[in-house]
Amino acid sequence: MRNQPASVTLPAEPGPFPGGGSRACPSAGDVLSEHQYQQQKFLNQSSGPSYRKDQYFPKGQNRGERGRGRGGWQGGRQSISEEMPRYITVSTFAQARAAEISAMLKAVSQKSSNSLVFQTLPRHMRRRAMSHNIKRLPRRLQEIAKKEAEKAVHQKKEQSKTKCRKARRRHMNLVAEFNRRQRKNIWLETHIWHAKRFHMVKKWGYCLGNSPTEKCYRACYRAMTKHCLLQDLSYYCCLELTGKENELLKQLAQLCSIDTGLTFGEACCLSGRFEGSVNLYRADRYPEDMLGPVTFIWKPRDGSENRQLWIWVHPALKQDILGELKAIFQCSEPEEICIPEPVTTSVQEEKQMDVVLSLGRKRKEEDKEGEKAVPVKKIIGDGTRDPFQSYTWISQTTGVAISDKSMEILRYRLIGPLSHSVLTETLKAASLQTVRKSTELNSWWVENCKDSEKVSLHQCQSAIFELLEGISSPSELPPGTILGLTVGDPRVNMPKKKTKAVPDFEKYQDNDKVRQLYLEGVPVDCAHSFIWDQDICKNVTENKISEQDLNHMRAQLLVPGSHLDLGPCESKIPILLVQQPGKMAGEDRPGWGSGWDIYLPKGWGMAFWIPFIYRGVRVGGLQEALKHSEYQRTPHTPNDFPDCQAGMQFAKELETSLLEKFKRRPPAKRPNYVKLGTLSPFIIPWGQLTKNWERRMKASGEFVHPSSPHPEHCATEGHSFCDPEAEVMKEASPETDETMARSDFIVLRSEKLLMQLSAWCYPTAGKDRRIRLVSRLGQKEMTEDVFLPILMSYPRALVWVNLSLLRKGNPELHAMICIPTEDDLLHLSKDKLFCGPQEPKHRDIFKHKIQKLKEEKKKKKKDNTKALEGDPPSVPEQETTEEHEDLILGLWSDALPDVTSHCSRTLLGYVTRGDFSLAAGCGEALGFVSLTGLVYMLHKQPADKKGLVLLRTPASLQYRFARLTIEV
Amino acid sequence: MVRFKNRYVLCEVVSEDPQCRQCIEDRAVGLAVRDAIGRVHGDFGLACCSISFTVKYLNAYTGTVLLRCRKDSYRLLCSALPFVRQLESRNQRYPCFLNTLHVGGTIRTCQKFLIEYNRRQLLMLLQNCTNEEERRCVQKSLLSCSLTEEQYLSGNEDDDDDGTETD
Repeated sequence: MRNQPASVTLPAEPGPFPGGGSRACPSAGDVLSEHQYQQQKFLNQSSGPSYRKDQYFPKGQNRGERGRGRGGWQGGRQSISEEMPRYITVSTFAQARAAEISAMLKAVSQKSSNSLVFQTLPRHMRRRAMSHNIKRLPRRLQEIAKKEAEKAVHQKKEQSKTKCRKARRRHMNLVAEFNRRQRKNIWLETHIWHAKRFHMVKKWGYCLGNSPTEKCYRACYRAMTKHCLLQDLSYYCCLELTGKENELLKQLAQLCSIDTGLTFGEACCLSGRFEGSVNLYRADRYPEDMLGPVTFIWKPRDGSENRQLWIWVHPALKQDILGELKAIFQCSEPEEICIPEPVTTSVQEEKQMDVVLSLGRKRKEEDKEGEKAVPVKKIIGDGTRDPFQSYTWISQTTGVAISDKSMEILRYRLIGPLSHSVLTETLKAASLQTVRKSTELNSWWVENCKDSEKVSLHQCQSAIFELLEGISSPSELPPGTILGLTVGDPRVNMPKKKTKAVPDFEKYQDNDKVRQLYLEGVPVDCAHSFIWDQDICKNVTENKISEQDLNHMRAQLLVPGSHLDLGPCESKIPILLVQQPGKMAGEDRPGWGSGWDIYLPKGWGMAFWIPFIYRGVRVGGLQEALKHSEYQRTPHTPNDFPDCQAGMQFAKELETSLLEKFKRRPPAKRPNYVKLGTLSPFIIPWGQLTKNWERRMKASGEFVHPSSPHPEHCATEGHSFCDPEAEVMKEASPETDETMARSDFIVLRSEKLLMQLSAWCYPTAGKDRRIRLVSRLGQKEMTEDVFLPILMSYPRALVWVNLSLLRKGNPELHAMICIPTEDDLLHLSKDKLFCGPQEPKHRDIFKHKIQKLKEEKKKKKKDNTKALEGDPPSVPEQETTEEHEDLILGLWSDALPDVTSHCSRTLLGYVTRGDFSLAAGCGEALGFVSLTGLVYMLHKQPADKKGLVLLRTPASLQYRFARLTIEV
Repeated sequence: MVRFKNRYVLCEVVSEDPQCRQCIEDRAVGLAVRDAIGRVHGDFGLACCSISFTVKYLNAYTGTVLLRCRKDSYRLLCSALPFVRQLESRNQRYPCFLNTLHVGGTIRTCQKFLIEYNRRQLLMLLQNCTNEEERRCVQKSLLSCSLTEEQYLSGNEDDDDDGTETD
C-alpha cells in the first residue's frame, strides 16, 4: 500500500515541550516547514504562563460539558512529574487533530494501489467501456483517469485494417499484401508453409524459419541419423562468374591459398564433376583478412571457351565477397542506370501508391468503365531488388562477367541416410518427347530430344539416378558428387497419403551396376544439366502449370484419385543434385549427416517441397542446421568465423542480445560475473586473448625453458598479480583495440599445421597410439625446433578445436577452456571420479563504485525534488548519471586485464558452441584456442595426459575435464 | 478476486495521565490488547485473533489506534478491548482504556471516519470556546486542516509527476 500515513509516536527523549502536539505528523510536510511550524509553536507557547493559566479554568469546564472523558490528558492532578506541563492548551489539542485530519485526507484522496481508477470503483458503479471513455466514470474520478489515459502505455494503437476480412482474404488483395510485406525482407518460396509451422526470424535480409513450433530437438536429430531432414537453403546466394577458364583461375587464385586445402583450380572440381568448398581471403592477404567459406561448382566443359562458375555464399558474407570479386576482376558496372537514390525510391513509392489506389478503386472502375484491373503478380525471386539496380557486372579487359543470381536458383538440402530414397521416390526422370504440343511449353526439351547425343546422355543420367536407390547411404559416393538431371513434374506422382520413403535393397542386391557406381562414382558427363542455361530456366519458370489448373485436371479424371497423366503437357524441369559428404574429419561416425542438395529453377519451390514432405521427411530450420554442423564438428557460418567481417558482426549482435537478456532479469537473480571470474561473458575477446599469449611468450624466455610454471604463479598471487597488468592494458587498449580489430588475430587453417597439431594432441594411452599415428601421418615428434618456427610465424593465431567432456558437465556458449595444473592431473589420475577443481571466488571490485554511485544518485534525486520547489533541476546531475549508465553490477566495467591469468587456471581459449551431444552421448563443445597457448600446454603435459583441458561455463565456478582434439 | 477479509478497529486511548502518551507505541498497544484477549478469551481466542493481528496506525498525540484482525474473529477482539486497563512500556505502567470509535472493512473507511470524527471534535471545541483567544486558535487549526487539503492535492500532483519521470 502506498501513500499510507506512518504511525506517530512521541520522541524517545521528552523534548523541551513534551506536552506540545507540534510534531503531530512528520510525514505531513517537508522538514523545513515543520521546523517553522515548531518555531511558531514555540513562540506560541512561550508567550507566557499567564496565557496558560488563563485558559485553565474554561477548559476544564469544556471537558466537563463534553463528557467524552477526554480530560484524561489534561486532568493529571497530583502525580505529575515536574517536566510535564500540568495542562494542555486547546490550541495544541486542536492542532494535533488538524494534523491528523490532513494526513488522513492525503491518504484517502490518493490512489493507494497500482490499479487503474475504474478498477477501484465498486462493481455496481462500473460501466461498459469505462477504460475507453473517461466520461463514463464518476466525475470526481475523471481528472485522475484523464491523467492515466495520457500515459503512453495505455494509449491505443491506430487501427489500420480498413477493409473487412473477406476483402483482405481475396486472392488478389492477399497477393498484393504479401508483396508489400516482402519488400523489406525477402521471402523464400516456401515462406508461407514455414510461417505456419516455424518461429520465423528476420536475418540477413530474409525471413527464415528458425525452428519448428512443435517439439523437434530429438526428432530432428533422429531424422538426420535415421531418415531424412529437409531444409530450405534458398537464402544462400549464388554468384555466377563467366569467362575464360584461365582468366578466372588466375584471378581467383589470389583469393585462396593451397595451404587451406582445395582451390578453385582443383582438377576434379574444374571438370565439373565435384563440388568444391574453399575459404576465401582478401586478394593476396592470406592468412589475414578472411572473407568467408564458400562452395563452388564449375559448369562441365561443353566445347566453348567460356566457363561458368557458381560460387555459393552465405548471405551474411555476400557483400564482402561480391565486392572483392568485383575488385579483382576490375568489373565495371555497365548496366547501371544512373539515377540517384532518393529519386528511385520516390518513383517506387509512386508506383506503390498507384497500386494501392487502383486496388481501392478496382470495383468502381470495373463497374464504370468495364475494364479489367491489372492482376497482381506474385513475386518470384528477389522481391527487395531495386528494379533499376543492375546485378551483372562485366569486366572490359578480361571479359569476365559476374552476376548476382541470388534467389534465381532454389536450393534444398536433404540430410540423412535415406535422403536418396526420398529423391528417387519423388523425382522421375523426364520422358522423351518429340512432338511439340504448344508453342512455348517444353520447346527446349523437344529440341533436345531431337539430338541423339543428348538423349543418350539423359538416359545415362536417369539410369544412374535410378541406381541411387540401391546405395545404403549418400556418404558412400565420393564427396561432392554432382548429378544433373531433367525430371518430370513431381506433383503428378504424389502419394495420396504421407508415407515414409524406404529403400528397397533386395532389388539391387548383387547388382554390378551399383558396385560400379560405388567404385567409380558418377561419370563426368552426367554432371551436365540444363539448369546452367538461363533461358531454359526462364522458360521453365514461366510455363509452370499452376496448382489450380492441376487440381482442375485432377477433378476431371474419370476415376477419382487415379494417376494423372499429363502426357506431353507435363513440364520438364532441369535440376542439379549435389552430394554432401557429411562428417569427414575425425574417427567416429564417418559420413554422419551426409545428404543431397537439390538445385531447382525458381518458381518451382512449392511444387517440389510438398512432394518431399509427402515422403515423410522432417523439416528443420536454422537451429537444426546449427545442430547439424555441431554434430559434424564443422564451423558454422557465420557463428564460427570470428576473423571475418560477418563473424564479428554476428558476435556483436549476440552480445547485445545476451546483455539485453541479462538485464531483463531482476538484479538479485543475475549471476555476478565479476565474482565468478568471468571477464566478458557475452563477447569473446579473441584479440586480447591472442595478444596476452603473445606477450606471455615474449615476456619470458620461459617458453623455451619452462622453469616457473605460469599458472601456479598466478594462482598463488591472485589479483595482486594481474592488477598492474590491468593498468598497462588500460593505457594500451582504448585506441588500439578499435583500429586493430581487423588484423588482431588470424584463425589457423593451414592443413599441414593442423595435421601436425592434431597428431601432437593425441595422448599415448597404453598402446602407443600417438607414435603410430605420428608415424602414419609422417609427422615429427614435438620438439622445440619444430614448434618454435610455427609460433614465430603465427604469433597471434587461433585453432579450431573439439572438446568432449570426460565425465559430467554440459558446456555452454562462451565457456572457458583452461589449462589444468599439475595437481589437477595428479588428482585425476589418483581419483577416477574426480570431477574437476573449483575456481576460488573472486572479489567484486566494482561493487563499491556502484553502491557509491547509487547513493549519489539518491542524494541528487532528493536534492532535486527539494530544488524543484525553488530552482529548476540542476544540470550537472544529469551528466553524472549518463556517465555511469553502463556500470552494471556483476559485469566487468573497466578495460579487461590480462584475460589469460585472471583466474586460477590459465585461460587457453573459448567455446563458441557447446551442448550435450546426442550423437556422442556426452557433453561436447567446439571452440577456438590460442595456438601459442596450445603448444605451450602440450609441451608441458606428460605424454599420457596430452590434450586434457579444463572447461568452465561462464556462470559457474566448477571446472570440468575435457579432451581436446583437432580434426582435420 | 479472492482475498482475506479483515476488520479494522479504530479506537482511541483514553488516559488520565498525560504521560501515558509516551507509552502509545505499536508494541505496547499490541501487547496490551493481546494480553486482554488472552485474559478474556483464553488461548483459543488469542490464537484466533492473532492471525494477521497488527497495529496498522497510531498517533500518540491524538491517541488514535487502528487495529487489524481477521473478519472471523473481530468480535472476540472487540469484546476484549474494554478489558485493556493499562499500557506498559519502558518499565512504566499507565492506567488507561480503549474507546472503540469505529469498525470498518478497509483502512480507507476508517480513515474517512477518522477525518469526519476529528472534524466533529474540532467543531465541538469551537462551539464550546469561552474566550476569544481560544476561539481564534481552534479556528486557525480548523482552517489549516482544510487549507492543507488543497495543498496536498497540489502536492500530490507533483509527486505523481515525479513518479512518472523516475519510472
